Amino acid sequence: MTEFLKVEGITAGYGDGPAILDGAHMTVQQGKVHCIIGPNGAGKSTLMKVIAGMLPVRKGEVIFKGENLKGLRPDQTLRRGIAFVPQERALFPKMTVRENLRMGGYILNNDRERDRRIDEIFDRFPILRERADQHAGTMSGGQQQTLAMARTLILRPEIVMFDEPSLGLAPMIVREMFAIVRMIAEQGVTVLLVEQNAVMGLKHADWGVVLDLGRTLFEGPAQEVLHDPRIQELYLGGRKVA
Amino acid sequence: MEQIIQVTILGIGLGGVFALMGSGLSLVFGVMRIVNLAHPSLIIAGAFTAYWGFRLWGIDPLVMLPVATLLLAAIGVLLYKIFFERNAKSATYSEMTVLLTFAIAMIIEGALGAMFSNTQRVTSPSYATDAFFLGDIFIPKGQLYAGMVSMLIIGLLAAFLKYSRLGYAIRATTQNRDAAALLGVNVNMVGLMSFAIGIGLAGAAGALTSFVFSFFPAKHWEWIAVLMSLVVMGGMGSIVGTVVASFGLSIVAAFVGAYVGSTWSTMTFFLALFLVLLFRPQGLFGEKPELL
Repeated sequence: MTEFLKVEGITAGYGDGPAILDGAHMTVQQGKVHCIIGPNGAGKSTLMKVIAGMLPVRKGEVIFKGENLKGLRPDQTLRRGIAFVPQERALFPKMTVRENLRMGGYILNNDRERDRRIDEIFDRFPILRERADQHAGTMSGGQQQTLAMARTLILRPEIVMFDEPSLGLAPMIVREMFAIVRMIAEQGVTVLLVEQNAVMGLKHADWGVVLDLGRTLFEGPAQEVLHDPRIQELYLGGRKVA
Repeated sequence: MEQIIQVTILGIGLGGVFALMGSGLSLVFGVMRIVNLAHPSLIIAGAFTAYWGFRLWGIDPLVMLPVATLLLAAIGVLLYKIFFERNAKSATYSEMTVLLTFAIAMIIEGALGAMFSNTQRVTSPSYATDAFFLGDIFIPKGQLYAGMVSMLIIGLLAAFLKYSRLGYAIRATTQNRDAAALLGVNVNMVGLMSFAIGIGLAGAAGALTSFVFSFFPAKHWEWIAVLMSLVVMGGMGSIVGTVVASFGLSIVAAFVGAYVGSTWSTMTFFLALFLVLLFRPQGLFGEKPELL
């Protein structure tokens, strides 16, 4: 059986700079929510950028459904069904909500089909329909994050990657974001999350991956990772979790 | 009262042409973060295209306008491929483009001077020196036509940016380059296309300018500061802002010219530039301060 997505021994960095990732690996199972955690500078965002094709792989492999993604550009990984929402600023602030969604379907060559899918998104996220003609930059942080996440669904991706969707949001809104994540996963879409708040992230995930200094310390079912003494030591400074 | 209306009309006439001159500059800055100091020298090149079309073959400058637009757009593609594409990843790209485009401006000025000499020229179709009269108020036909054609072109540009697929891609790239790339936009192609369109607009502005102002190769130095003040005031990269600033400042400049003295008219633009930089560096329509 070929695995859904496999990341093996990845080394990568920015420009000629030092390796941010230095042999990281992770396994991704179809339809599950995966949470990547680790201290600042562990390489969490970098790992997503590598999978999305924004950063070249120096060593190692990313295999998606049997195909090596090495050397693919972001638009090519997107066409294969991998969508990525980078940290903050993922939107076009001076375009309307509808225009942002249209950009989400930019690579579709059929405007009617694109607009039909936008309508589906509006059914699932009524707040976006309400705000359809408003500039994205004028919405609240939670609404903007909802738009960024919803926008990836236009292309009906197989994998969506969200880099810190909870960043800068109030705790109540964060819960809404995780509800959306769960809803997306229930539709059979595989989710990868980076979370600064490890406890929060793991509680909402099926699978946990712990990165430190560019390497994967360990990975496993989210519940086990959450209670693993190693992560408490590394990441939470020895405090008892949950 | 009549004089006030008269001066306002003259200001609006100039404003239309300046708006077209500035919108190309604004587009190029918005998408590419290129501070194109060579823009006015390319406008002069467009003016020469229309001038020679009229002088040699008697072709109306309004008919030469599409020719100048396409010619300059092609020059834009060449400039982009040679100078701007390879450096786009540099962290100091905007700063570097100031020096680079300054050099390009001097090269273009030198080339035009060598080919056509530094004589003052103006394209002189019959309407250039004609006017409509409404009672005692006169509306110079040249400025009227130039202003109307400018508005038409800017309207087409706005519609193109608002509704076309490439227009969506250009706006998206301006606002968030990385996000656009992640959604499958070929941002390098978008950069090339918007540069070509921006320089093409310089060609169109040149064709119109050629019968509104007299020009010579070194004239672009006068315009660069005026255009920069329009673009800065408009909010660097906001075409709407540039158009509003063009009309506003041109009308004020016309009044200064009429009531204070014509030598002070150009000062209006520099004074406005100072004031905007001091009190509202993000411009009238910009959202955050990012000048260069």
